[in-house]
Order: sequence, then C-alpha cells, then structure tokens
Amino acid sequence: MTESLADMVELRIPPDPKYIAVVRLTVAGVASRAGMSVDDVDDLKVAVCETYTNVIDHAFEGVRPRPVMIRMTATDRELQIEVIDEGVGFDTEAKDYGKEADLSREGGLGLYLVHQYMDEVRIESAPGSGTRVIMKKRLAG
Amino acid sequence: MDLELIDGWLQSVAVGGELDAYTAPRLLEAVAGALDAGHEWLLVDLSDVQYIDSVGLGILIGGAKRAAERNGDLSVACSRPNVRRVFDVSGTAELLNVVDTVDEAVAILSKARAAQGGREQ
Repeated sequence: MTESLADMVELRIPPDPKYIAVVRLTVAGVASRAGMSVDDVDDLKVAVCETYTNVIDHAFEGVRPRPVMIRMTATDRELQIEVIDEGVGFDTEAKDYGKEADLSREGGLGLYLVHQYMDEVRIESAPGSGTRVIMKKRLAG
Repeated sequence: MDLELIDGWLQSVAVGGELDAYTAPRLLEAVAGALDAGHEWLLVDLSDVQYIDSVGLGILIGGAKRAAERNGDLSVACSRPNVRRVFDVSGTAELLNVVDTVDEAVAILSKARAAQGGREQ
C-alpha cells in the first residue's frame, strides 16, 4: 500500500485587508502545486479569501488584533486549508452560519460561498477561544 | 474606472482588476457616485475584472436596491467564467441582471426602462 505524503505550507499573516491579495496568491500557488484544476484553484481563492476577510471583519472586535494562521496541507487526494485566529470567537450553535444565501443584506454571502465552493467545511469556535475554520477540497480524478 | 453616459440616460461604469475587501471600494465609489449623481439606470461593466467575492457582490446588491428605489435598475456585464460563477453560485445573477456583454446589458436595461413607460433606445 502506498502511503500518502502530506505537504504543508503555513502562512502567518496580520488580519489586514491589504494582505488579501497575498493570501490569494499563496493559496493559488499551493493549490496549483497540489495539482488542482484552474477552476478549483479559482474556487479555493474565493473560499479562503472569504474566510480571511471574515476574520478581519469580526475576529478582533474590541480586542488587539493578532496574526492569523493559514495552514495548507496537501495530500494526493485533497487540499485541506485551516484558517486559525486567536480572536473573540463565537457560539457556533447560535446560528447556521452560511448554510443559506442571505440576499437581504449586503454582507450576507461570504460564508455561503465558502460552503458552496468547498467539499467540506467545519467551524470550531467558542466565545473567547478564537476560531478555526477547516476546509477541504478534493482533487479531481 | 471608466464612466460613460450612453444615450443620455444609461450610466456605464467600468471597473477592472481584482475586487476584494481591500480593492472593492473602487467599485463602491463608482456605483455610489453614479447613484448620487442622479443616475438610476446603471450598467456595471466587469469585463476586465479577474476576481470578485462577497464584498463586491454586496456593493452591487446595495446599488441594485438603491436603483430600484428610484425606479431604475442595474445590470452587470461579465464574461470571465470564474467571475460569472460567483454570481451564479451565490444566486445573485438574476437579481443583478448578469449577462456576458455590454450590449446585452444595454438591451436588458432599455427593455426595463421601456416597460416603465420610458422610451426604449
């Protein structure tokens, strides 16, 4: 049996909109290196940038911003991306975040796109404990 | 950002590049600027946009609502597959009258204006 070899790339980055393009370029590079199709690379860029933008907008309300960790782990089957912040966290049970598209307000689509573009999305968070979003996209073929 | 008034009633705004939370204020400036200037019929030309996400979508949804409040409408022209896909997947393509070309957007808005009693161009 052939064992999967995991390649891991970590990006530690300030929660600042000026770095969104850096996140997008890094994700595109890692995903392309992992063998993702052009279309899947485009999907990943949106999903990860939406998640990172959510961190910028919400994770550090009322507290001092801390660096965000974006960890990309590629195997021969999938690419897993974790976006980890040490912000204020939230109660994941309080609402079905991103499961439905909310067109009634101008900022209600980010997490919905993440769910649509990724094969698997899991959010681990609690008030005061930061947030970890784990996303997976399978390699086609 | 390119602005053009078509046939004296349709304001076209063309924005290029990548539209994320850092760069989308360019789009907001263009859309809000046109509405503030009294244009309720807006054609947003995103033909040269390579990336858009929910921040850009939010600006366009807000622009469409403001245009509708003034009995106008908004149409988005974009043909790049990854950009078009964001509209399709988010379910905003119909709301924002997303079409492939500027000509199609002009036709949609001309028809909508005519239906409101204005003169079709």
